Amino acid sequence: MNAAIALILGLIVVFIGYRFYARYIDRSVMRAQADKMTPARMYMDGVDFVPTGRNVLFGYQFKSIAGAAPVIGAIMAAQWGWLPAMLWLFAGVLFIGWVHDYTSAMISVRSEGLTFGGLSYRLISPRARGILLSFIYFYLLLVVSAFGAVVAKAVVSTGEAVVGLVVLTLAGVLAGQMIYRWKRDIVLTSAVTVVIAVGGVVAGNFLPASTFLGAFAGKIWVWAAFAFLFSYLGATLPIWQFAQPVNYVSFYIIFLGLIGGMVGAFVGHPKFTLPAFTQPVIAIGPIWPMLFVTLACGAISGWHSLVSSSGTARQLERETDARPVAAGSMFAEMMLGLLALVAASVAFAGLPQFGAAMQAGGAGGVFASGLSKLLGYLGLPARVGATFAAVLIIILAITVMQLVLRFMRLATAELVGERMPAMRNVQLATLVACLLGMVLTLSGWWQYLWVLFGGANQLMASLALLVVSIWLVSQRRKATFTFIPMLFMFVTTIGALCYTSYNLLSKVSMSVAGGGELTVGAAIGNALMGVIAIFLVIAALFLAYDGSRALIRLRTSPPTEEASAPA
Amino acid sequence: MSLTDIFAIHPERRYIMFGGKGGLGKTTFSAATGYYLARQGHRVLVFSVDPQASLSDIFQRDIFGKGPVEIMPNLYAQEVDADGRIRDYQEEIRQKIRDMYQLDKVPDEIEQYIQASAAEPAMEESAIFDQVVDIVVEGDYDYYIYDLVPLGHALYYLSMASVYDAWINKITALREEMREYDRVAAVMKREQDLPEDQILEELQYIKGRINAASDILTNKERTAFFFVLTPEEMVILDTQKAAERFRKFDVPLSGYIVNRVLPRELIDSDIPDFLRGRIEMQAGRMEEIARLFGSEVRACVPEFERDITGLDMIGRVAAELFPPPEGRAVV
Amino acid sequence: MTNSNDPKPDRPPRRGLFSAFKEFIYGMAAHDTTRLAMKTRASMEHLFILITMGDLLGVPILPPYYSMRLLPYVVPQVATWKRRMLREKDLTDSLA
Repeated sequence: MNAAIALILGLIVVFIGYRFYARYIDRSVMRAQADKMTPARMYMDGVDFVPTGRNVLFGYQFKSIAGAAPVIGAIMAAQWGWLPAMLWLFAGVLFIGWVHDYTSAMISVRSEGLTFGGLSYRLISPRARGILLSFIYFYLLLVVSAFGAVVAKAVVSTGEAVVGLVVLTLAGVLAGQMIYRWKRDIVLTSAVTVVIAVGGVVAGNFLPASTFLGAFAGKIWVWAAFAFLFSYLGATLPIWQFAQPVNYVSFYIIFLGLIGGMVGAFVGHPKFTLPAFTQPVIAIGPIWPMLFVTLACGAISGWHSLVSSSGTARQLERETDARPVAAGSMFAEMMLGLLALVAASVAFAGLPQFGAAMQAGGAGGVFASGLSKLLGYLGLPARVGATFAAVLIIILAITVMQLVLRFMRLATAELVGERMPAMRNVQLATLVACLLGMVLTLSGWWQYLWVLFGGANQLMASLALLVVSIWLVSQRRKATFTFIPMLFMFVTTIGALCYTSYNLLSKVSMSVAGGGELTVGAAIGNALMGVIAIFLVIAALFLAYDGSRALIRLRTSPPTEEASAPA
Repeated sequence: MSLTDIFAIHPERRYIMFGGKGGLGKTTFSAATGYYLARQGHRVLVFSVDPQASLSDIFQRDIFGKGPVEIMPNLYAQEVDADGRIRDYQEEIRQKIRDMYQLDKVPDEIEQYIQASAAEPAMEESAIFDQVVDIVVEGDYDYYIYDLVPLGHALYYLSMASVYDAWINKITALREEMREYDRVAAVMKREQDLPEDQILEELQYIKGRINAASDILTNKERTAFFFVLTPEEMVILDTQKAAERFRKFDVPLSGYIVNRVLPRELIDSDIPDFLRGRIEMQAGRMEEIARLFGSEVRACVPEFERDITGLDMIGRVAAELFPPPEGRAVV
Repeated sequence: MTNSNDPKPDRPPRRGLFSAFKEFIYGMAAHDTTRLAMKTRASMEHLFILITMGDLLGVPILPPYYSMRLLPYVVPQVATWKRRMLREKDLTDSLA
């Protein structure tokens, strides 16, 4: 298998999915109409509900869903061989991924721009929203811990990235000043700050972290703390001074790196060095159910229905824009995951080297090596490329961490704010979230942490598909195309979560009983992970139960036209 | 120092106000002062916003809601129809909304708001004070004599003026901050022009008006404020308290005028006991007034044999208020 | 990447594609910042409307004669303001 061929195959899948399957559903099942009133045009409040052109929205949605997850997940999945990962990317996005993103956006458009919470309240049951909220909190905790681990491992193996990160951050703060205070031309601001950031990345090559920190540069807890501290600042400082402008500058770095990688893959068309298939059961576990939660984003991801779909739905000018915007972005994200898979498959001489790199730097480290190889075909020296790619993956992950911490703070206030007014304090709530995150990051095996995150993410996706299915049934439309994927995801993720939880908890109990292989900290972390997994399963089962009752109720009641079925 | 002296020495004090409890003679004195100044050759406007239309009564002409009406050469009187003004104002706002948004009629909830706020008591006051600013700013009179509504409202307005000013500053700052974010969005989209924030301009206008109204009441150089009282226990007490509150708001107090003084000479004639009693009571009160307000008592005006209406009677009151410096008759 | 799969615009292809590409870049790079600016501004506008029209709620902050003067300028916002105030919101709304 060849990098260029793999990408071309991906494009073919995208074409088939978008042009045939998505169009069919869009026309015949959802029946999107170009002249029908959308919430954006109806409410037009100049804030949330602003009709926005589909090109802009495509960019917006794509950027909002594309993160570190398709990259990391694809690379971890390569441990089973490139073929299962690729097949799951293709099949997943084709039958489940775009369906999930597209339908989440569409039912929001058809429900005055309601978000996931509101929709589950309306379509499933009133308590569904409450359960969802607690689910979300633990889901967010897993996200921040898993990504924290990604960052920590990536920096440990690529110490040269640190200076680049710091300079990038400073460039971001400068951009904030230039945009917000001095109101400079945006093209000028972007050019200046991106150049500074790239300069920093290159300079980092000559100043690896070990020059400043000596031995500490190799300790993982140092970088975990760094990641969480950075995210804490991003989540608590005024968003206009730190988080927003740093995200702004980061985007260009990421974009340049990924486009460069794509082009490099075609230019160099290197051969894959990984085997198509390794073995059915690896350290993480058996291919089913574990592959499907390891590689989440890129195939299917619940994060999208939570974060992206409603925001985008409130801006859609026309219903017919939902397909290019929502479905299109998902297909694009698949290509991103594919690129990561390609990068991992060509990076090293063979499987053993791949394995060693995974151990040392995690999936982030592997991505850094792979992307630098692809960028090398464009003439970028390998060392610079590696640093650049490392900064890319780190910033991709840290951006999400900041956002997640903000959400966790809001979720904390909403969940326990009444009973514990102290938790309404911004600093305290964020600090608690950070500490919990660090505990998980440092004490669990990062691959399990990632699997748990993936599992929670996919479970969220199945819940979204459940909500969509209920909506479809309430509208007397065929729901098979959402229902079957939903069942598959539901069963698979519950299986994966239970499997992982069992492993974790049995390891802890063995350690407590006298095996003694875990330190106290690790034992607590693992136990916490195991318990969270179980909690997520139980919450999901409750939601499924309420959901099936709603479905049954709908099947036996008279049809309603475009109105919501009262829960 | 007599009233005549005050006016002679301070010609810059062009805003004259008479205050005090209702029914003690404010309107009478406003009219009389206007008469005197007009006779002196100055252009005078006497105006009132009291819906009880007492200026119309005293000048024996219907001037309510008719703008400035010439009573005699140099003397103009105006009674502001506050309710009428509010109704016209509501319609102006409605028309503006219809024009701005090309509507046939004003949206229901906006219409409700317009009607609800017109019914508020504070609406009448703020409309009145806005009218005062209009009259004073636009007119070209030498003197403005303003017959104040009963004490409480003026004080309320004064106390609120600084509060309003502070709120307007806050709101303006808020509005400017909002504009910052409009600018940020414009930077991101590379848009050049940002439409002027008309609300900011309006806020500036409102601030100016509120401050002008409060300035009229408190400007030491241009305002002369006289308290009207009668020689009665309760009135004296109330006047004292009111004066104290006015002092707190820095309203420049130019003096007190005692009205309805029964002529002392009557005591020597053969009068009924009740009348004698009243004269003696008044004597006691006058001593108290002298003690409390001393040299700030500018005039003592006697009780007349009939009510003061018509220019003749007004002229007689003016003669009492403004005795000629050497005792020579002036009117 | 998937732009080529979009239905072709009915403008001259070269110009259409280039402006579509520019919009795409703006959407990825800057649109979220613009949205954030609008949301930040909106939260201040709510406060503004509350303050100026507050006498509806019995909170006299400006003399009613003058707040009515501002009314024409906030007519469009009053309706959306009310809707935003009354709309049920939860955590998932802030993520939107």
